[in-house]
Amino acid sequence: MIALPAVASQRSRQREATRRQLLEAGLRMVATEGFAGTSTAAIAQATGKAHGTVFLHFRTRDALVAEIVAEIGRSMSDRLAALETATPTLREVIDAHLTALAEHEVLYARVLAEASTLPPAARARLFALQSAIASRLRAAHARARTAGEVRALDAVVAANLWIALTNHYLMNRDLFAPGESVVAKCGADLAAQWLALVST
Amino acid sequence: MSTELCSSCGSCGFPMRSAEDHAGGDPQCGYCSTCADPSGTLRPYEDVVEANADYFVREQGIALTAAREMARALLDSMPAWKARP
Ligand SMILES: [Zn+2]
Repeated sequence: MIALPAVASQRSRQREATRRQLLEAGLRMVATEGFAGTSTAAIAQATGKAHGTVFLHFRTRDALVAEIVAEIGRSMSDRLAALETATPTLREVIDAHLTALAEHEVLYARVLAEASTLPPAARARLFALQSAIASRLRAAHARARTAGEVRALDAVVAANLWIALTNHYLMNRDLFAPGESVVAKCGADLAAQWLALVST
Repeated sequence: MSTELCSSCGSCGFPMRSAEDHAGGDPQCGYCSTCADPSGTLRPYEDVVEANADYFVREQGIALTAAREMARALLDSMPAWKARP
């Protein structure tokens, strides 16, 4: 009887490890094949699990896709939080954003490219992440506005302009920076140009 | 891939970075200040949908109807609302 809790916790650890394995395999597959080319059967095969095992951990393929996008979002949020100061300047917010983007470039570009065909929960995760960036930009913009450093642009539009700009380069990364990181190649210039646009 | 630097809200997934991000300013609370009241109790589902939709509208200027749909899709995939009938 005494051994039971230990067995239970070992089971739960194994369960979590399997879930993690499936998720990591999904992330690797999405990076190379995109969401459309990632099937639950292939994820099962890549991890050496039975196909049915996938559904013990994720109710549906959509649930798995949403979890993959959530994982990318969490990882990027953590990175942003780690880089952040209490009252960052606009320059600090976009530099932190570029760093997080550079580290997740391939996966994030996949999410963007396939956003319109992703299940609603996955698309909502992407949107929540963008809202978090926009929120930081809006707060930094308000501080800069008070200090007279930026022009009288609507803060939401200014933030959307930055998000649209980076998204465009990420979605077309094969054209702007064939075979290399588009953030490494163009990021610094985009940041300088956007700051020049919004600054007084 | 994920390092547990900050915990995310069990209701909406929002990454909670400071104590004030947690409901009632309590870092032990698993919900954010948008989704739960100051005592840490999760607000009713429709209230949380509305609060999250408002956040999307405020931060990205999208239409309220689309923001509500987005908020529902987000909440329905979260642990706190999985058991919702
Ligand atoms: Zn929340």
